Amino acid sequence: MEEVKKEFKPQAIVEVLEDGPIKITGNFMVSDSKRDIMDSPEEVYLCRCGRSGNKPYCDGSHKT
Amino acid sequence: MESENRNRRGRKYTNGEITVYWKPDACVHASHCYRELLEVFDPGRRPWVDMYGASTAEIIRTVNMCPTEALTWKWNDEEKNRDIDPSNTNHVNFRRPDLLKNDSSANAEPVSVKIMPDGPVVINGSFVLKYGGKEKNVDESIISLCRCGSSNHLPFCDGTHRKTGFNDN
Repeated sequence: MEEVKKEFKPQAIVEVLEDGPIKITGNFMVSDSKRDIMDSPEEVYLCRCGRSGNKPYCDGSHKT
Repeated sequence: MESENRNRRGRKYTNGEITVYWKPDACVHASHCYRELLEVFDPGRRPWVDMYGASTAEIIRTVNMCPTEALTWKWNDEEKNRDIDPSNTNHVNFRRPDLLKNDSSANAEPVSVKIMPDGPVVINGSFVLKYGGKEKNVDESIISLCRCGSSNHLPFCDGTHRKTGFNDN
C-alpha cells in the first residue's frame, strides 16, 4: 500500500453496533436509489437484521 | 495501456459496437445492473453478461448507473470516444480511479448513504467506519453494508439478499 498523500477529512462516523443497527452521525445524507433525499438528520440508526417494521430505520425488532 | 491494466483482473464484453468492462473487485453489490437489465446482467448465469440481451443504448444507460467503476464502457470506434457527454458517468473517459482520487473538492461533501431497494446500504464519501472493535478510515471511497442480516461477510454485503429474497416491505 502506498502512503497517504492527502489529509483524510472524515465527514461522518459509521458505526456498526454489535447485534444491532448501523449508527451514522455527522455530515451525511440518506437517499433511496433514485437519489431523492429522504433525510438529512444528525444521527440515524439503520436496520441490519431485516426485521424492522420501519425500514430502513431500526425499530428495535432485532431484540425480540 | 490503461485499458490493459483495467483488463488485468477483470473481464470485457462486446457486442461489436461497445465494450463493457467488468472489475469484480470494485463491485459493492448496489445491484442497479441486474435490477435494471437482467437480460444483459444476470448474476445467476455464466457468463453473467450477455451483450446481445438488449440494445446498446439500454446497456449504456444501465452501466452508467453503476456507482463504482465495477462496470465501465466505451465505443469500439475510438473516434466516438473523443467527445463523450459527462452524463455518461461510467464511460472510461470519466471513471478512472486516478481522476477520482485527485478531486480534492469532493473532500467536504456530505457522506452519501443510499438505501438500495431490497438490497444493501451503499455509503460513499470520507468517513470513519467502526465495526467489531475495529476502526477504518474510508477515504473518498464506497462500501456496502448488509441490511438483510444474511450476509456471510458481515457487516458487509456479499449479495446474499438476492438468494434469500429479502425485501423492504
